[in-house]
Amino acid sequence: MLDKKKIKLMSRMAAYDKKNAGPDLKISSYYKKDYVSLNTLISILWITFGYIIGAALYVLCNVEFLLENLTITKLLLMGAIAVGIYFILLIIYGVCASSFYGAKHHKAKLRAKRYYRDLARLARMDHTRE
Amino acid sequence: MSTILVWRKQLQNLYAKFSVYIIIVLKLIAGFLVFSLINSNIGFMEKAASVMCTAGLSVVCAFLPMIVMTLAASALVLIHLFELSIAVAVVTGVYFVLMYIFYFRFSSGTSWLILMTAVSFTLKVPLVVPVAVGLLGTPACIVPAACGTFCYYIIRLVMNSSSMFKADGLEGMIASAVAFAKKTMTNKEMWVMVAAVVICILLVYGVRRCSVDHAWKIASVSGVIAAVLVCTAGNIALDVHISYTTLAISGVLAIVTGLVLEILFLSVDYTRTERLEFEDDEYHYYVKAVPKFAVTVPEKSVQHINERQSSTGENTENGWGNDSGWRDDDEQEEINDPHSSDDDEDMDTGWSESNKKEIEADTILLTRSLNKELGLDVSERNKPAEKE
Repeated sequence: MLDKKKIKLMSRMAAYDKKNAGPDLKISSYYKKDYVSLNTLISILWITFGYIIGAALYVLCNVEFLLENLTITKLLLMGAIAVGIYFILLIIYGVCASSFYGAKHHKAKLRAKRYYRDLARLARMDHTRE
Repeated sequence: MSTILVWRKQLQNLYAKFSVYIIIVLKLIAGFLVFSLINSNIGFMEKAASVMCTAGLSVVCAFLPMIVMTLAASALVLIHLFELSIAVAVVTGVYFVLMYIFYFRFSSGTSWLILMTAVSFTLKVPLVVPVAVGLLGTPACIVPAACGTFCYYIIRLVMNSSSMFKADGLEGMIASAVAFAKKTMTNKEMWVMVAAVVICILLVYGVRRCSVDHAWKIASVSGVIAAVLVCTAGNIALDVHISYTTLAISGVLAIVTGLVLEILFLSVDYTRTERLEFEDDEYHYYVKAVPKFAVTVPEKSVQHINERQSSTGENTENGWGNDSGWRDDDEQEEINDPHSSDDDEDMDTGWSESNKKEIEADTILLTRSLNKELGLDVSERNKPAEKE
């Protein structure tokens, strides 16, 4: 005799197993703070790399304008502007990455929790049947 | 209107039945469109621009996630640009890396929007995708849409002035890279279009979330008007040459797309809008409830009147019963109604027979009225059957 409840449960678990189980279980193996900190740090490194590339491209495009009447004061001012923009970018992306990865961890944890609960229910159903 | 709603329901049923195949076919079409447009516009490497390569990539990408198609398209663009000039390929590669670092690391799921935006620009319908994205997406979609616009203008720049970027030697390559980077970043038309796309998406999104009647229609029209105004202002103030004909045609198509999307994703009956007002301990509520159109697809029940049925009747009379291969009523019901399992559950939860009869009577009445409205008069067809 087919058990509809069991079939539904197993279908849901199989769908989750196919789609999200791998990344979710990996994410939920971290503490939230550790996961968020690690990924925010990685994001900051990527942003630094991206900023250097972007700045290099800008310098390449405007090399004539930047070198025109170059003085120590102008050089310092340009350096200060570049560093200022970098820090603003870093703060914006740091905050965004932290909230993004926090939400991602929370959702993954919820889904993994539900999956484990379903597993326990399935085990109980099997046990009752026996 | 009821005919359109019946089509919508039938389309939904069809999609629910064959969604796996429909998605693959749509991906195949999208892939073929993307790769063929890239190859026809900047097909500098002959082998990569061949039809076999286009078809092969499309077929492979049809079975993989959309992010793979985006990566394949980026790789194809870089290969063609590498054949033209290493400097141009390097600068374009840097643009792609920047796009990945600043946005697609966080949201790779929307990367296909880059392709769709670029394709819509190439097909001279640039406002269709922003309106669709504004209606169905979120404000975060402005980033991939803007990136798509940027990619289209890079490809167009290379297509229009490819001979300018060919260079030999280190100095020549540096000069070529600087010229290409400058040209891409100082392209006024591109920035005007990016502004138009961003404003269009934000406006459409903002208006469609308002609680006014016909919000989706107003959103589509206002988004198109805003985009056309931005482009016109750019044409006048910055002396760029965005075609008004393209804008007009694409605007009309965008509004039509908006109407189609409204029918598919939000079919509500504004004439039956209800306004409710109530309160609890903490809040006072002003609720506007707009009912959805509810349509049941008329099921065509075909009654076969032939020799076999009469012989079955004889068989039943002779005591052969249902073992002769004919399904009994319960089995037939299960086949006609894919949600029969739900009905079983309902029965378990204590639905009375009278309730079931009432629902059946309602369904029959609704089906009859719809058949009448659609001109499918079943009673006329059933008459000869009744006579026999």
